[in-house]
Amino acid sequence: MVKYSYYPGNTARQSSIEVEDTIQPMARSLGLDLIDITGCNSDGGEIICQTNKLLQLTLNARNFALAEENGHDIVTACATSQGNMFAALKTLKSDPVLCAQVNSVLEKTSDLNFKGEIKTSHLLHVLVDEIGLEKINDLVVNPLRMKVAAYYGPNMQREGACGDDDAFNPQYLERLIEALGGEAIDYDSKTSSVGAPSLLTLEAPVMQMTAQVLSDAKAAGAQLMVSACTISHSNLDSYQSKAAKVSRKDTNMPVIHLSELVAFALGHHVDRFAQLKTRALVIGG
Amino acid sequence: MTIIAKVWIEEDCITCDACSDICPEVFDVTDDSSYILAAVRTDGGFDRNESKSTLKSEFGSEYGEMIMEAAEACPVDIIKFEEVSSAGDETTDDSVVEVAAVAEAAPVAAASVPAADAGVLAELFAGDRNLLILFGSQTGNAEGLATKTAKLAANYGLNATVADMDGFNVDSLSSHKRVLIITSTWGEGDMPDNAEDMWQSALKSSANLSSTHFSVCAIGDSSYDEFCKAGTDWAERITAMGGIEIHETALCDVDFDTPWAAWVSEALPRIACVDDAGVFQSELLEAMIAYGQGSDDDGQESGDFTPANIEQAEMAINMRIFRYDPASSEYGWDEVATALPGHATIQDALISIQGKVDGSLAFTRSSLSGNNPLTGVKANGRIVLADLAQISDLCQDGGTLTVEPLPGHEVLKDLIVANDNWDAARVASKPWMVSGPRSGEYLENGSAIGVMDSAVATELHAIADVSSLHLIQGMSDCMGLDDSYNGPGLALQRWVRSCDPRSAESHRGAMMDSLQNKGGIWQEADFATISRQGADGERAVDSLLDCRARLLAEYNFSGRFGRLVKSYASSVKASGNVNETTLYRTVLGPFGLASNIMNGVSLRMMLGFTRTGGPMMRGFQGMLVPPAGIGKIPDMFNARIHDHHEVVAIFNELDSRF
Repeated sequence: MVKYSYYPGNTARQSSIEVEDTIQPMARSLGLDLIDITGCNSDGGEIICQTNKLLQLTLNARNFALAEENGHDIVTACATSQGNMFAALKTLKSDPVLCAQVNSVLEKTSDLNFKGEIKTSHLLHVLVDEIGLEKINDLVVNPLRMKVAAYYGPNMQREGACGDDDAFNPQYLERLIEALGGEAIDYDSKTSSVGAPSLLTLEAPVMQMTAQVLSDAKAAGAQLMVSACTISHSNLDSYQSKAAKVSRKDTNMPVIHLSELVAFALGHHVDRFAQLKTRALVIGG
Repeated sequence: MTIIAKVWIEEDCITCDACSDICPEVFDVTDDSSYILAAVRTDGGFDRNESKSTLKSEFGSEYGEMIMEAAEACPVDIIKFEEVSSAGDETTDDSVVEVAAVAEAAPVAAASVPAADAGVLAELFAGDRNLLILFGSQTGNAEGLATKTAKLAANYGLNATVADMDGFNVDSLSSHKRVLIITSTWGEGDMPDNAEDMWQSALKSSANLSSTHFSVCAIGDSSYDEFCKAGTDWAERITAMGGIEIHETALCDVDFDTPWAAWVSEALPRIACVDDAGVFQSELLEAMIAYGQGSDDDGQESGDFTPANIEQAEMAINMRIFRYDPASSEYGWDEVATALPGHATIQDALISIQGKVDGSLAFTRSSLSGNNPLTGVKANGRIVLADLAQISDLCQDGGTLTVEPLPGHEVLKDLIVANDNWDAARVASKPWMVSGPRSGEYLENGSAIGVMDSAVATELHAIADVSSLHLIQGMSDCMGLDDSYNGPGLALQRWVRSCDPRSAESHRGAMMDSLQNKGGIWQEADFATISRQGADGERAVDSLLDCRARLLAEYNFSGRFGRLVKSYASSVKASGNVNETTLYRTVLGPFGLASNIMNGVSLRMMLGFTRTGGPMMRGFQGMLVPPAGIGKIPDMFNARIHDHHEVVAIFNELDSRF
């Protein structure tokens, strides 16, 4: 059993609750033990650092210290959270003075101490690097049999934060899709931003960015998009029709989370999977 | 290496700041014109340098290439400069080998007396500063030491000339006030072959060397009976001819580096104290030693450091190059299989293809100084400067390298992009220096000069310490999709100006307004697109986050951006997690929510269960406070995390505004 401290991110237990519905069944099938970090807080998104970098760093350090008490590295299903945590961890490890300052606050407020003995990963990299595509392929019950576009977003696509994958031309998600019995569709904007941090503040350009990603994938023949970022999923799914109106592009496509994709292929939530396949067939590539 | 002797600004400067952005160590843009800073000039003036005063040696060499780059970048072409002429051109005697670097540096070095020593050494430096270094060498060791000695001589304001003894006229020694001899001994106490003729001439010569100061470094092998005899012979003969031995002869064994270094550290300052009249000024020796040591801090001047020759194996790659023909408005991709050394840059590859495959390929080339901030391209997804990025860092042997124009810019032809929008936005926001009254000092010549604490200057420099602001501009994913956004590169420039303590308060306010309002930094949709692009991106985002924090504080969390940040932080403090439902309501307000209803966003969120297959409601909140809690719309109220008080305490400790 591979054990990880599980950090759900900022939306997996809110607007992206389907991640919570699927991640634990998926993990059980793969022999992956995801242990909740009891009492973990928001990592600050990409928002709190805009007003107080030290505050966001300390909030992250608190989660790291709690995970260290768990004794396992952190995994998250959200690319934005992985990007934020990776950046925070890098800062704390490279600046001992700042780390001491953060620890001083942690000790005073939470009786915790960040030791720097932990690392963070995205679920995708754990699946490919730790579990292995061969094992996953062996466990597939319901092959995807759809043309699937992989969306990574920009946050975790930086050197060091995305396992051994190429930060700028990643292939992990495509390889996973193939292992799950789907056909991976390549398209240009799979690491482009959909402007998630500015969804509520910059409507027109963010809708343009969202539409660009969806229409690129659609033009490449995708029937379905899988998002490695739970926050970006809101743009790609809930704001899909608004993005189409603003950009006048064809954006109509089912968009699901990574944990849903894997769980469905491994035989969980067969009713949801059947519903998804029907939607994909109706909407078309 | 480029060494600039003089740089000056002609009339009609448009104060665009391009020069000071590239080389702030030399140029400072005032309200009227770009000026050459006093600190780099030998006359200590602070103006356009119409008098064409020379640069101090360390600045002429250290910033030579940046000055040339600034001159090239000047849109009105008013930055003029003169390079130090090559000493090789002045060589008249075949037997004399001028050491170019020394000859170039020395006249300037002579003028670069630190202010503290000016009164003591200035008169000495004002006169003739020639030094002759003769070598007698059989295997090249003595010649090598002579060259090293010549380089070190520049540190003492000496203009050194290295000469081979072979063919040297011994009688001409009388015209030299300062002579150093470095010679090996050959066989049983014999002169090296190249010194034999001169030695024989010296034995017969009747020249009077009474105004010649000299010292000898003798190299030999102590296993021979006549150890270092050639050197000691020269010392005795020149003394016999009336020469004055300024420092005793050094006897160096086969491991000659250490004794040579000891000799040169003593002999050079002493011989440098010989004045224009040929008199040794012993009272200046201490100041001369301090001066020489002060200008040899970095080790690079000593000539001991040789940069490694970094070469990488040849790579066979497939290059995909974006092509655009403005005449036909057609675009597409060229694919070229090529083989290049791994250390070749993208520009090297493009030049090779342009020369051998397609002469019509258009791209921006490096400047004369070897680096051009406008050569940005997108290469395999990375935003890089084509004249710096190496192929081996971008793809593997046998791989594909896709080269596209810098994103977010209009493409003019192939890989060349237009910078009109950048220029227009820059001119409109005026991010150049408009200075206010500030503290300063007076130079010796009476000119006033502003002063800045070194820590502040370093911090200011670090804010925008990136290789190219244009490159930062190209890192944003929303640049090409938002015409009103001025871009992160320009925002960074404005932020630097607003942090500059020299800026007038009104100008600082104008900069902050331009960052806060339309076109400013809030129009960057996602900093992650920038920070993922390596060190430059991380540096830029770190600074731009500081900028946003300052804006939020000064503008009291106004606007949607302010409400977003405040509401987000407040909800995290309230429960430990962000509350998306209250965030939407607070940030969007009633009109924004109405827009979402009209555009179907709210409905899609409510009906999310029809897409996911999940339940319509997961708790009672959907019935109590709808639409919160229905479909994909989260609950109105968050449950508090375990040990929530710890999060509250962290907020109270670090930021009491929430």
